[in-house]
Amino acid sequence: MREDGTRHIVGPFNRVEGDLEVVLDFEGGRVVRAEVVSTLFRGFERILVGKAPLDALTITPRICGICSISQSAAAARALGDAAGLRPPPQGMLAIQIIHGVENLVDHLTHFYLFFMPDFTRPDHAARSWHGAATARFGVGGPAQRSWLEARARIMHVMGILAGKWPHTLAIQPGGVTRAPDARDRLKLVAQIRRLRRWLDETLFGDGAEAFAALGTPSDLLAWRKGDVGRYLAIADDLGLGSIGSGPGLWLSFGAHETAEGPLFARGVRRLDGTGRPGVLEPLDTADILEDPSHAWDAGRPAHPSVGDTLPDPDREGAYSWCKAPRLAGRPAETGAFARQVVDGHPLALGLAGEGGSVHARIVGRLLEVARLAEALERWSIALEPDARFIEHGAMPQEGRGEGLVEAARGALGHWVSIGEGRILRYQIIAPTTWNFSPRDASGVPGPLEQALVGCPEGAMVQHVVRSFDPCMVCTVH
Amino acid sequence: MQTETFYDVMRRQGITRRSFMKFCSLTAAALGLGPAFVPKIAHAMQTKPRTPVIWVHGLECTCCSESFIRSAHPLAKDVVLSMISLDYDDTLMAAAGHQAEAAFEDTIEKYKGNYILAVEGNPPLNEDGMFCIVGGKPFVDQLRRAAEHAKAIISWGACASYGCVQAAKPNPTRATPVHKVITDKPIIKVPGCPPIAEVMTGVITYMLTFDRLPDLDRQGRPKMFYSQRIHDKCYRRPHFDAGQFVESWDDENARKGYCLYKMGCKGPTTYNACSTIRWNDGVSFPIQSGHGCIGCSEDGFWDNGSFYDRLTNIKQFGIEANADEVGMAAAGVVGAGVAVHAAVSALKRAQMKRQAAAPEKISEEA
Repeated sequence: MREDGTRHIVGPFNRVEGDLEVVLDFEGGRVVRAEVVSTLFRGFERILVGKAPLDALTITPRICGICSISQSAAAARALGDAAGLRPPPQGMLAIQIIHGVENLVDHLTHFYLFFMPDFTRPDHAARSWHGAATARFGVGGPAQRSWLEARARIMHVMGILAGKWPHTLAIQPGGVTRAPDARDRLKLVAQIRRLRRWLDETLFGDGAEAFAALGTPSDLLAWRKGDVGRYLAIADDLGLGSIGSGPGLWLSFGAHETAEGPLFARGVRRLDGTGRPGVLEPLDTADILEDPSHAWDAGRPAHPSVGDTLPDPDREGAYSWCKAPRLAGRPAETGAFARQVVDGHPLALGLAGEGGSVHARIVGRLLEVARLAEALERWSIALEPDARFIEHGAMPQEGRGEGLVEAARGALGHWVSIGEGRILRYQIIAPTTWNFSPRDASGVPGPLEQALVGCPEGAMVQHVVRSFDPCMVCTVH
Repeated sequence: MQTETFYDVMRRQGITRRSFMKFCSLTAAALGLGPAFVPKIAHAMQTKPRTPVIWVHGLECTCCSESFIRSAHPLAKDVVLSMISLDYDDTLMAAAGHQAEAAFEDTIEKYKGNYILAVEGNPPLNEDGMFCIVGGKPFVDQLRRAAEHAKAIISWGACASYGCVQAAKPNPTRATPVHKVITDKPIIKVPGCPPIAEVMTGVITYMLTFDRLPDLDRQGRPKMFYSQRIHDKCYRRPHFDAGQFVESWDDENARKGYCLYKMGCKGPTTYNACSTIRWNDGVSFPIQSGHGCIGCSEDGFWDNGSFYDRLTNIKQFGIEANADEVGMAAAGVVGAGVAVHAAVSALKRAQMKRQAAAPEKISEEA
């Protein structure tokens, strides 16, 4: 057992995107205090200043090779907002198809490549399921192979609509550069149906619709089919449902907006006084503040539309490159589970009522995979090859824009100011910036820092950290 | 010491003999080598000791790894993953924390002078490397440590090769390409943001199979994938020659598939295999999605003015000064027609280069 009062640094973390360290203080074999350290800084917000506004469409996707469509969509929205441009309905559909595929693929890449291999670790060797889990979910094992194959196939959607992935160029402020023709539409529908079959057969072991229709955490535990069933048995045995609770405040910018509105609602939901998730509250982005008091940054707390990024490795009391975003002064958790809670899915609300654990985050992703797959098929059928896919308009000489989307890992915002035809200011708050934020000026820890408190030493720390599906390259950018 | 071959590793990972032979023919095809090379590749993989790979990540966005694991043929990808999964990769490996650091050191110690170092991303040099810390130390230290005993280095993508967007003005972290930090090792650059999956697997398979670098151009890029311009193999080229251009996104001309030069396409000055191999299993590439090429495999593409500025330094309407530079060497290599004899002479040249350094290692292909 770790000695009381001792400090341990866990890192480098593998199977996360980018570099991460976690500093843990133990007492009685459990974490009593955690500091999350983002160790990678590149300075995109500095680089964008002075560039032509549209260059953000090429530069910002390169913040991240995993969520590059999300970055691209957020940049296009921010620029569109500044220019008063909105994509036509069919352009929105095309964007949501590629964005939806990216999010869905990210969720399953997390499940098969990043999260499940932890259960093959020697720490779990004494468990009855360890042998079977190792055979199925080990690195290079049958589950990974099957997913990588299915993944390469569904990525044809990116080829058809976006030319290339990662780092597509097709998404513009007014829509998409490529209008799919009738043949493309057929191919899209076929690929998405094929993926849905794979989900039914391999991931869920039964119809994804049946999984999406689950209403309570106890109904969920009865699911014993497919890779999901294998995971649920492990989660039950290890008690993943009672560890890793975040701040109890969930945030979503509203995901996958088409002409009919967002597929998953925008807003905020928090645990009320009785520990139950409360009503859906509206989101006002004016309540967002980025607080650099524990970041290697010389700035002061500011709204991202007026904020700045001033790297300062000597800042007193700082321990991360990440600034601390706060919503009306409070840390907020974001991601697939947050989206499902905000959207009011009964199973997600049930899991939120149990505290919102490691398990809840995994189930949030699985729910979203099931619901997104259905929407993707609907959207691709609704494509009209003869319609308009883009509106034209010039970038303004002066202007401001806000671009909000939901990346796989949660709420992503871009804020741009344009002056004399150039970018004057560009600020980005990524999902993991919220989830892995350091402390703020009043010393309140970020969501992961809270989730780790009470965690026993050993593999469980890894499960808690990975349950957020961190993307460290987005976090600081 | 017991010698483990690639074939041993593959068999252990459950890959059948039949699949192995299929992999060898795929590899030969991907590298533009004729059927006569299939038994040579098979022989090499069954007799040569496995070459370990250490894969490290600096300032980057992981897009190279993303591209790599999406490589077209599932079998090729399986095999390549099985080749490298035993060693060190901080994105995909199973170990974590101190265990991971130990695996890193073990691999270096065990295979001193014998492993290939694959670098994704680059080291930032400002503030003593503080902008990228791995295992409590600046990434540049990890890079130097791994490079010291590597026999060759692969610089994956625009970051490692040239710097990429994080090196854009004012380059806040002083992100620096690998070859400016490591100057005493053979380095192969595989630029692109990211590189095409099949180019990545092709390069690494070639190196693992033949135990040497492929033939490189003056910039250090493998000729087999980077010796032709996007423009020369672009399916929209006839429209350029005919003076038919897209004037705005998705206009009438765009739907007819006219040339994107006026929309800022950098195809005429970019050397890569996008217009032949294409992306996402050969489905498409940026120009096919209606957007111009941004030249992401060229040095400095991030700082050449707006990505939508029209190129002004190319000859118009098909009169190309540098046709000689372009042609020959590998025109057929990535395309359908296989230029066996060109490839063979490329191999011979590469052999000569290697012979001086390691005369024992090349007898199989002679």
